[in-house]
Amino acid sequence: MPNIREIRERIASIQQILKITNAMYLMSSSKLKKARKAYEATSPYFDKLRSTIESILEHTPHTRQMYFDRRENIPEEKRKKGYIVITADKGLCGSYNHNILKFTEQELEKAADTGNCRLFIMGQVGRQYFNSRLKNSSRAYVDGEFLYTTQNPTLYRAMEIARLVLDKFEKHELDEVYLIYTEMESSAQFTPKTVRLLPFVRKHLGVAADGTLKKLPKASFLPSPEEVMANLIPNYAKGLIYGAMVEAFCCEQQARMTAMDAATSSAKDMIKSLSLLYNRARQAAITQEITEVVSGAQAF
Amino acid sequence: MSGIFHLEIIATDRVFYQGDCQHLVITAVDGLLGILPGHEPMVTTLPTGELKYMVNDSWKYAAISGGFIQVMPDSSIILADSCELPEEIDIKRAEEAKERAEEMLRQKQSIMEYYRTQAALNRAINRLKVSQKHFR
Repeated sequence: MPNIREIRERIASIQQILKITNAMYLMSSSKLKKARKAYEATSPYFDKLRSTIESILEHTPHTRQMYFDRRENIPEEKRKKGYIVITADKGLCGSYNHNILKFTEQELEKAADTGNCRLFIMGQVGRQYFNSRLKNSSRAYVDGEFLYTTQNPTLYRAMEIARLVLDKFEKHELDEVYLIYTEMESSAQFTPKTVRLLPFVRKHLGVAADGTLKKLPKASFLPSPEEVMANLIPNYAKGLIYGAMVEAFCCEQQARMTAMDAATSSAKDMIKSLSLLYNRARQAAITQEITEVVSGAQAF
Repeated sequence: MSGIFHLEIIATDRVFYQGDCQHLVITAVDGLLGILPGHEPMVTTLPTGELKYMVNDSWKYAAISGGFIQVMPDSSIILADSCELPEEIDIKRAEEAKERAEEMLRQKQSIMEYYRTQAALNRAINRLKVSQKHFR
């Protein structure tokens, strides 16, 4: 039979935690409302941006633009790959961080030589994880100067990040750039996802209405394909990063809300079963006391 | 005016316009560009500037900053950082932004910062211009 005092202390401490998780639940649900609004406002842009770029790439004539430079002369194991990874700034959001970090590690395994991989991590959790993980290994390394938060994504921050990676691509510090973020499939279903940012690949052939491959017609570019692409690609990168940031932030809040809701309800369950235990122990103590008194009285 | 084409103007924070349009005039890199139904496929970038489109024989204006347009014979898609109607523009805010940018330009800055403030100044001036021209 557990001690009555112990149970009482246990209940009190669970109640304390319940207060915290409940407060966090309320906070994340109000943040989620904001994040979801931003996500709903941005997702048409994000979807349209991707589909439009895809169709533009189908109609792009041959260009020597540097963002299309695939650098095929560099062998697979020498290619310098950059990964922009969007994680959360804080923990306590269920498996959100775990999933994206595991997914990133899998992506890194796929790379031929991880020594050439560079990680640009947004969010404290991911940065700390990979910093301690990759410290002594010759595998991928984390860019220490890349310090951006994932809270309240802004277009300006996305622009800075886009400029930074494009700059590194131009200087041949990176040959390929990928973006890893969490995609929101439905309000309860999140999956980590990789999107290739650079270099761009032109499409020569498309599937025609009758299912056969045909050469795509080329659109005209004003003033020239090179100049349009030099403007359009930074814009696209910015939009893509911004959209990913907004989506990931929304996922994070959603994950945190669900996790905190689950924590609150399991704390309530624990209190329930503990108070049952407590009442039983109390009843047992009372019964024992009565027995003692009665047997004491009988002795007289 | 013969015919209409489908126009979509999508800004990062909202869908600005989606519907039919008879005539579209954009500010491209080297000047104004008019687009009518049946235009050849074309892609171009849009700097900060003014935009007008005709719906039901009346012109509608908007201030646009940074983006690109994809033109197809029967549809056009504009994707922009921001897009505002003249009456939506906060003149006070734009004026403040303009002053801030002008103040910044007086300071010694790196080339990168200089370009950035200049872009900010352009956006503020464009907003003021569009709102003064069409909303009085």
